[in-house]
Amino acid sequence: MTTKTEQQLFVGSPVTSHAFNGALDKLVVSDNSTTVYIYAKEANGKWTKETELQKHIERVKCVDWAPKTNRIATCAGDRNAYVWNLNETTGVWAPSLVLLRIERAATYIRWSPAEDRFAVGSGARLLSVCFYENEHDWWVSKHIKKPIRSTILCVDWHPSNYILAIGSCDFKCRVFSSALKETYDKPETSGWMPKLSKFATMLAEFSTQGWVHSVKFSPSGDKLAWVAHDASINIVHMDNHDTVIRSLTPSLPILTVIWASENSVVCGGHDNFPSLFNIVAGESVSKGIRLDVKEKKAGGGMSAMARFKALDRTGDDTKDASLDTTHQNSIIELRVVKSDATGNCSQFSSIGMDGKIVHWDLDALASSISDLKI
Amino acid sequence: MSKNVNSTQFRTVDVDAYDEDNYEDDARDTGDSGAAEVTERANQVRGLLNQLKTKEALKIALKNPPVGNKDASVKEQNYETVVSVLKSFKAADIDAAVADLDMVEIDILMKYLYKGFTCSPDKAASLLQWHEKVVAKGGLGSIVRVMVDRKGI
Repeated sequence: MTTKTEQQLFVGSPVTSHAFNGALDKLVVSDNSTTVYIYAKEANGKWTKETELQKHIERVKCVDWAPKTNRIATCAGDRNAYVWNLNETTGVWAPSLVLLRIERAATYIRWSPAEDRFAVGSGARLLSVCFYENEHDWWVSKHIKKPIRSTILCVDWHPSNYILAIGSCDFKCRVFSSALKETYDKPETSGWMPKLSKFATMLAEFSTQGWVHSVKFSPSGDKLAWVAHDASINIVHMDNHDTVIRSLTPSLPILTVIWASENSVVCGGHDNFPSLFNIVAGESVSKGIRLDVKEKKAGGGMSAMARFKALDRTGDDTKDASLDTTHQNSIIELRVVKSDATGNCSQFSSIGMDGKIVHWDLDALASSISDLKI
Repeated sequence: MSKNVNSTQFRTVDVDAYDEDNYEDDARDTGDSGAAEVTERANQVRGLLNQLKTKEALKIALKNPPVGNKDASVKEQNYETVVSVLKSFKAADIDAAVADLDMVEIDILMKYLYKGFTCSPDKAASLLQWHEKVVAKGGLGSIVRVMVDRKGI
């Protein structure tokens, strides 16, 4: 079913992670199993399964696609991560093992903006920053351990390529320097790093009441947003670490956040729909605007098929058990699909525990929802 | 029988204390913040209730709860203050009072309501009336914040 604001793809089991390639015609998806799938967009706009990447022996928790260098990184509960390279002539994706040296499952993986390194968060309470070592032809890692005290749930890279933010289960969001000597980084000072700091130096630490589910730098890198399990949205500017703009939302906890522009974020979580929040006057966050427009069902009733299904399952054929949101279960991850040079997002995608991957057109939504201002 | 079977002393050893990776919560109760403030507040609230200024009394009762205090009696005293205010409201006035509160006060009120459910189950009926109105304003998020709160009010 496609409307001008959404297109949907149904994977069939809960989707834990997804990423688009640079050309936006391929999608890598992990469906809570040991296999990773690549979907390709055909000429008629439909997405079909193209390849299977099978190497992990435990559930794949997270995937990421480096758009410029065209490499896929995956990490799983088997304490491993693989970098997959595409052989152009055969069309086969070949995995190369990454030595993470962790004793627990890997939970999150993200390529850096320059795509010469990636960060892997894990349940071993440490972050592995992995880069390619040419002499030995493999990926090696350096650890950021102190003072992270619990499982890392999310990581985001700053546009500069040597600063990253980590959200973890010890209720803290932290910013670290990841300037590596091995890759000849030349870091410069900035609001996040007022003095040149070496690898694994903690630059900032922020507390919340709940696990930090998602953390993102704004498109310019000046602001940092994170969402926690206490149903809050927190935003801080790099120049003033003491003033955290905190919004205690009336909704269920949010699991994922992306920046729609320099001053607005889109969030999704256990409420099953994405909502847009604007930063007002640099001081507070507006009320969330629901982006999932409820459409009245044509015909105002259940189909015969739905009636028999409901009768079979619940013994009552009068109530339609489906939710009025597009996603029938929590939204796990949001990704910016298309954005312009200043970082204004025009399209984003969401994946859910219901197995759906939904593509949202923010520009089309802006015109159809009356008070939507980004 | 061999000697080591009889003694079960080893069961009293706190193994977590020897674990160097043991997670220690930052949110443990330390210090005695606000003990004097709590007594002061109790007096203020009593005064306002005598003058039937229930809405003002509610606002004052919900200010600065003694969250970090390790003395349970101080927390208990503040709890009693809040409950006395809640009791003094007529059912029709609850809506107006809740509309006046901001999100932080809503969260504190919700925490006290849930404390009331556990400590004073006999008052559950009136607390539930409050609960309904507070959820209408604070949403499910305010209940979530009660559940993830580690310090306890």
